[in-house]
Amino acid sequence: MALSREIYGALEAIVGARNISEDSGVLETYRCAAAQSSAHYGPYDHKTPRPQAVLLPGSTEEVQGIVRICNRHSVKFKASSTFWSAMGFIDDDNAIQLDMRRMRSIEIDEKNMYAIIEPYAIGAVVQAEAMKVGLTMNMPGVGCSSSPLASSAGWVGFGPTSISMGCASENMLGSEWVLASGELIKTGSLGAGSGWFCGEGPGPSTRGVLRGFQGSTGSLGVCTRMAIRLHPWPGPTCIPSRGTVPAYKAELPDNFKCYTLCFKDWDDYAKGIALIHENDVLFLGHRQFNMFGRDLKTAMLKILTDPDGQLCDIPALVADPELKKVNDDMKIDIQVIIAGTTKRDAEYKDKALDKILELSGGWKSEFMLDKEMVDYVLMYMIRMGHKNLNYVYCGGYEGNFGLSSNLFVSARVMEEASALKRKWETETNYIAATGGDSDMGSICVIGGGGPTGWEFFTHFDSYDKPSIKGTADFFNDTQRWMLEKGLGLDMGHWNQDARHEDGHAFTQEEHDAIFSKAAQPLITAYQYKIRDIVNPKHLCGSYYRTLTPSKIGL
Amino acid sequence: MAFEEYRPMMERCSNCLGCKWIPFDKIKSQRFGENCPSIGYYNFNTYAVRGRFQLGLALLTKDAELSETVTKAIHGCTTCGACDVSCKITRYNLEPYEYNLALKAHAVEQGKLRPKQKEIIESLAKEKTMIVGKTRSSRTAWADGLGLVDMTKGKADVMFFAGCKASYDEKLQKVARASVKVLQGAGVKVGFLAGSEMCCAVRAEQMGFRDEFEKNARANIKLFADAGVKTIVTPCSDCYQAFKRRYAALGLQVQVYHVVEYIEKLIKEGALKLKTPVPLTVTYHDPCHLGRLGEPYVPWKGGERKILNQVHIWEPRRPRYNGSKGVYDAPRNVLKSIPGLKLVEMERIREYSWCCGAGGGCSETDTELSRWTASERVTEANATGAEAIATACPWCEANFRGTPDENGKTIEVFDIVELVERAL
Amino acid sequence: MFDVKYGLAEIVGKENVSDDSSAIERYARDESFTARMPPVCVVKAASAEQVQGIVKLANETKTTLVPVSSTGLHRKGDTVPSVPGSVIVDMSGMKRILNVNRQQRMVVVEPGVTYGELQAALASQGMEISIPLAPRAGKSVLSSVLDMEPRLNALHQWNFIDPLRCTEVVWGDGNRMFTGDGGMGPLDLSKQWKAEKWQVSGTGPMMLDFYRLLTGSQGTMGIVTWASLKCEVKATIRKTYLVPAGAVEDLVDFAYRVIRQRFSSDLMIMSGGYLASLLGDSASEVVALSRELPPWVALVGVAGFEILPEEKVKAQEEDISEIAQQFGLEMLPAVPGAKGDRVMSRMRDTGRKESWKATYKGAFQDIFFTTTLDKAPLYIDAMRELANEAGFPAGDIGVYLQPQNMGTSYHCEFCLPYRAADSREAEVAMKLFVKASETMSAMGAYFLRPHGMWAALQLNKDAKSAEMLKSLKGVFDPNDIMNTGKLAV
Repeated sequence: MALSREIYGALEAIVGARNISEDSGVLETYRCAAAQSSAHYGPYDHKTPRPQAVLLPGSTEEVQGIVRICNRHSVKFKASSTFWSAMGFIDDDNAIQLDMRRMRSIEIDEKNMYAIIEPYAIGAVVQAEAMKVGLTMNMPGVGCSSSPLASSAGWVGFGPTSISMGCASENMLGSEWVLASGELIKTGSLGAGSGWFCGEGPGPSTRGVLRGFQGSTGSLGVCTRMAIRLHPWPGPTCIPSRGTVPAYKAELPDNFKCYTLCFKDWDDYAKGIALIHENDVLFLGHRQFNMFGRDLKTAMLKILTDPDGQLCDIPALVADPELKKVNDDMKIDIQVIIAGTTKRDAEYKDKALDKILELSGGWKSEFMLDKEMVDYVLMYMIRMGHKNLNYVYCGGYEGNFGLSSNLFVSARVMEEASALKRKWETETNYIAATGGDSDMGSICVIGGGGPTGWEFFTHFDSYDKPSIKGTADFFNDTQRWMLEKGLGLDMGHWNQDARHEDGHAFTQEEHDAIFSKAAQPLITAYQYKIRDIVNPKHLCGSYYRTLTPSKIGL
Repeated sequence: MAFEEYRPMMERCSNCLGCKWIPFDKIKSQRFGENCPSIGYYNFNTYAVRGRFQLGLALLTKDAELSETVTKAIHGCTTCGACDVSCKITRYNLEPYEYNLALKAHAVEQGKLRPKQKEIIESLAKEKTMIVGKTRSSRTAWADGLGLVDMTKGKADVMFFAGCKASYDEKLQKVARASVKVLQGAGVKVGFLAGSEMCCAVRAEQMGFRDEFEKNARANIKLFADAGVKTIVTPCSDCYQAFKRRYAALGLQVQVYHVVEYIEKLIKEGALKLKTPVPLTVTYHDPCHLGRLGEPYVPWKGGERKILNQVHIWEPRRPRYNGSKGVYDAPRNVLKSIPGLKLVEMERIREYSWCCGAGGGCSETDTELSRWTASERVTEANATGAEAIATACPWCEANFRGTPDENGKTIEVFDIVELVERAL
Repeated sequence: MFDVKYGLAEIVGKENVSDDSSAIERYARDESFTARMPPVCVVKAASAEQVQGIVKLANETKTTLVPVSSTGLHRKGDTVPSVPGSVIVDMSGMKRILNVNRQQRMVVVEPGVTYGELQAALASQGMEISIPLAPRAGKSVLSSVLDMEPRLNALHQWNFIDPLRCTEVVWGDGNRMFTGDGGMGPLDLSKQWKAEKWQVSGTGPMMLDFYRLLTGSQGTMGIVTWASLKCEVKATIRKTYLVPAGAVEDLVDFAYRVIRQRFSSDLMIMSGGYLASLLGDSASEVVALSRELPPWVALVGVAGFEILPEEKVKAQEEDISEIAQQFGLEMLPAVPGAKGDRVMSRMRDTGRKESWKATYKGAFQDIFFTTTLDKAPLYIDAMRELANEAGFPAGDIGVYLQPQNMGTSYHCEFCLPYRAADSREAEVAMKLFVKASETMSAMGAYFLRPHGMWAALQLNKDAKSAEMLKSLKGVFDPNDIMNTGKLAV
């Protein structure tokens, strides 16, 4: 049922005729195909519902105007910055979609090292602007094409540089939100107009309402501006990028070192990573290329660094005995970058890393010390501009397992997880047979180390229905395995309780049935009460998990 | 490929967001980081190729129809190929450029046109040019007095193909004339097709009129063969791409040079000496159809299959057409050979250059988009501090000419050939 | 009428409920200018179960609870009841260190554990906890962390509220839960540990950041009965250097650069007089040191840990020294009046019964807020002017600037020492305290930790946050029994 003309007219009056559409074709491009970047939900051969209209607000005032109308007429809404994942899309037939593309400003306070950004200032451009003044940012692992504001407000946001810079929530300073009630709140030091520099307080932190371990995925309103902490960038003001497309390479000065560290087994890996966590030596650490799969990673590196390389080269490369030796050498590996802020600093950190390798029995891959490879990896890892290679094989990717945030627990079960995936690769044809272990992820998920994340990349064909269904079945099996091991929720299922397979929201009753069984149901019961304050009409979908308080006597 | 055959691609596009930006590794600033004029101007997701894939699928599944809005969106694409380059950084089985053309063709086949397209195509049929209001008989007036050999009657070293824009636009005829004079000055015997000459028709393909393009292309191929043409030199990037890639796919087997390539060759051979200083700071605009879309056609016959369960490949190795083999160095080398000339680069160059806005027929059918796109480029050029844009395509030159940037400032525009002529 | 003391006695035992005059007086006032308000009694809790029982009783009887975990003299007003009929919940006796985990670098502590106790327990495992500047002996680590007291090492403060991670909380409504990743498992630490869950990640556990509703809350939302804290690896080498300067402006760019290059294990800027208070053991010694010490000094720590500690220290010493030279400064192991190792020892001293700030004149009032370093000189100038207008000796005012959160913001602290026995001096100090607080607030100072009058100052400028905090109070403490009247909510 289309929006009434009265409501449409009111919305159009806010954003202008050019920035609103209810054309069916346009609206179709605002549906998420759950076989494509569904983000820990699915994959499903289904799309999210079609919005009634899509709007492009250009300012906080416009967002507030829109939200007030939605409140007045009980129209649901969701805002998204880049629409990369299912989280940003609506989940109701009576909903409108906000596309935040027009809000993209960046202001940098170079001295105090933070940037004030709007939703569509994607990581790549924030980083590029920051580098002009000798700074950079924590790029979320999802890649530089995503919105750091959305990562901070909406999701988790750890990345390769979290070890030295912290994750998205740790880099979040003052912020501005249009709550789902239509009220505007400014968090931290911004609230009283002191500036953007502090994300906490006043007293209890109002930002605590709006994001926790994960952000509120747009389900409590719209974050319209945010200050994020920046970090020193001891490199050139613009990454010098050379080479032939797609094999671009950076050439950075000597204070940057780039290695692939290898270990003989997972115990040594855990030991080495733990020492790295404790010793402030890295700028960046990410198990990156294993996402292509244990068997295929070096073949893919050869293909990607050769401008003429193609996927049909894989079989020959995998069969190459010399390359196989390299691949075996890199079986348990992680990519790291040292960035010294001075020559001495770089030298110390380089020596310290060697010492860590000595203590943990690790070594540096010779193959990855080749200058062309080093320059490729530097470009790749610092800009995180090739993250979309997670789709390279056929177009479909999802992350599963997750294992444990405890490095030592994950290390123990890694081979078993790998074997489970390998079983599905060999006994079915639903997922790409990349060699079992296809784990990739940040060396740690918060600043200074400690917890880690172990996401396996599962590749499938988003056009092939059996492949889509088979992948979902595989994730059900990994969930079974995770539960048997006491490891909790499989990453592929993290958002399974956020919306149904058909893309629609869960009802309150359905959420009640799920969350009343939680180990600590108070968590979601309090979230219900918070939602009542911030989003009294429940206008933004069911990613914000709630339990009716009366179900547990609250 | 038929439109329906693109369905696997529509469903394999994974919404990675790459198609809205120049290759991320190349981004130097926010201001000049984007690559797609279409979504740049219109903003809705629909306008990037990701949206176009979704739109195409919705049309196939009848979840959407070819409304006026959708028709405008489909045709509001300059077919610049920037999305294609970016997509292929991380994907090996999507063809955004070809898909955009197919989507336009689908709209045309359903009778969904933009204003002006009908008269443009009628002009092609009648006057063998897509520049409405011009006649075939006046096509070669620019060549009067230059002593070009009529190759339907005689022999020449090269067949010079001016292209419609340089032939008919009075302000750009100097480009055609300068090209000929430079070549002749280097001892090249220059021919042309005189009154038989016809539009290359590639802009018809860019607007979705595939049949009309193919018909004209085949007619031209026959004409070239009958005239014994072995080498074509053209100052127009659209025509260059037409012959190098599209006509080659239809069987054309001649050497194709853009005039800047030929000039580079002459300089290397010592046949052309540039002695007179041209004290000017310029920035070079890479035309889409000379750069990323100007890659040579590579014949391929093979099939697709999956290996390792779900890794999609083509066998034998299929040409990627990812912009890596476009013409970027020749124009720069020529500019650098001009004494006194200083070249400064914009942020978006080579395979990730920003479009001038003229392509896809948009300079006629979506003038707002076209002018905005050009203005963006002029802004970028002015940001370098250059005194002028140098380029190698009359469509680009026409679109930049007199176009103000975001601050209202215009910039001088030269064809490389004009600067070479000054340097002789 | 029901006497709440009887109900409390049933929960904690009669011997742990006290209404004798010394117990009452101890909490009726503190060392700040907060108005006197005696509680009805003091109850000593020994466990989370007892705390929960107390909170439930308080809800039934509409009794205000004021949670206290530290011992010794209090100075911020948050332990003094704001309303009559309040009960002090004293958790200083809850001193268990529930778990130390070297592998995860985590520790779990109860509210009564002090810094000295914790450091001793961690040292045997090669760890230490980040500390604020010279906390007094009775300072509860948990309450210090919840109050977001600034830590010495800003560069390890990726999260502003580090080292706080998970908590067990009894909310004002009487419900008990774990926050952070602890909230995803059973409500039983030993079961979680058996599953190798060590309460490492403090956010959430889902989309609501529960622990951020507790930090800075001054006990108005609930009572925390244990907290997991991130530990540091114990330094094998630690040194402190001094960078003297004539004006604070001379140190600003130096500090910016050192922090920006991610050097130092700890860094702060102090006025010479304040450093004298830290170092002196008596008032006369403080006075003498004040005359010797430079007007301003940056204290720069370098440390080495497990991996090549000497090389690390040497590299940083040389690099920071060069930075100092670039700004016309010198990094020195000693200055007249102070040697680096004595300074370091005093900075890290967790054993002093009384606050070092009291050494000079016995009493003092702090004004502290959060700002950026570039603005600090403006506040310092303003404070000097206000002191002169008020007739307060400007030279006596201690200034301490501590980078936080990797240098993005700074804790800016002014200490106003005075003799409490001298009523004129005390009155001048109080008036200056009020005037300076108002002036700083008007200048844009951010009272992140809005104790006492700062709550109204801050929240009156920020209606939306005030409204949100009231709403949160309504959720977690619907009967408003948790430290009623604090935080202006």
